[in-house]
Amino acid sequence: MAGFYVLDVPEFRPLLEAARRHPACQVHPLAAGYTFVEFATAIEITRAATGLPPALWFGCLTAGLDGKITEFTEETLRLAPTNEPILP
Amino acid sequence: MTLTLHGVDHTARPTWKLAETIHFYRDILGLPLVHAVTAKGWGREDEQHADFIHFFFDSGNESSIAFFCYIGTRQPENLKPPRGYMAMGNHTAWRVESESDLLAWQEKLEAQGVKVSQFITHEIIESIYFRDPNGYPLEITRPLRDMGALDATDAAHTIEAALALEATGKWTSIEQLWRKKAERIQQHQAA
Repeated sequence: MAGFYVLDVPEFRPLLEAARRHPACQVHPLAAGYTFVEFATAIEITRAATGLPPALWFGCLTAGLDGKITEFTEETLRLAPTNEPILP
Repeated sequence: MTLTLHGVDHTARPTWKLAETIHFYRDILGLPLVHAVTAKGWGREDEQHADFIHFFFDSGNESSIAFFCYIGTRQPENLKPPRGYMAMGNHTAWRVESESDLLAWQEKLEAQGVKVSQFITHEIIESIYFRDPNGYPLEITRPLRDMGALDATDAAHTIEAALALEATGKWTSIEQLWRKKAERIQQHQAA
């Protein structure tokens, strides 16, 4: 089950709101301080959709990622499911 | 018995630019010069110690920023603050209470010719960055919210994931950390 976690703090709520509006994201209920945002296929999230300032945007996966990053620029984040090991 | 620290008393660093340092901290930043120690240098078996002045500027909330002027010495190469972002990691950050205060500091510094970074909004603070005449990095910041128990829990998960990766000797990216942390959060939620 691929996805990413969002810590339940005000500064990351815009990310969660963007995930709720995203057609390919399924937002799970809040549990133990974290919300899991599930994706079954590759997804793209834009910084514009989140409204996050750059410093926060570049830390937006800080609560954890079950998947892989295929692109991460100042404006675009692309994620995909993966079975690759974490370390080479 | 639980030992507790009660905030910063002072931090200190050496300077070989006495006049510029006094001008910057006292006159530009406007921090009161509140204390100065002067002493004859003493020798140890393995090290001669220069005569020195140790002086302190009040940085609020009973804290101070202090300097040592080692009289008649030259700055060793290895004590010159390096340029670049890695050296910025070694810095002092002072707190102000509001966005308008932070903006006022930015204006005040720029009006005095100090090069100030762009206003940066982080997770729980927003800050401006600049250097003193010695090249020491400084920050003025304001809290956006208080830290809570969840921040501490999350920090512990981050650090435990990082320690596990560091121990492998193969850790090269934040993506690896985020993936390792996800394993921990999954277990944390299931517990």
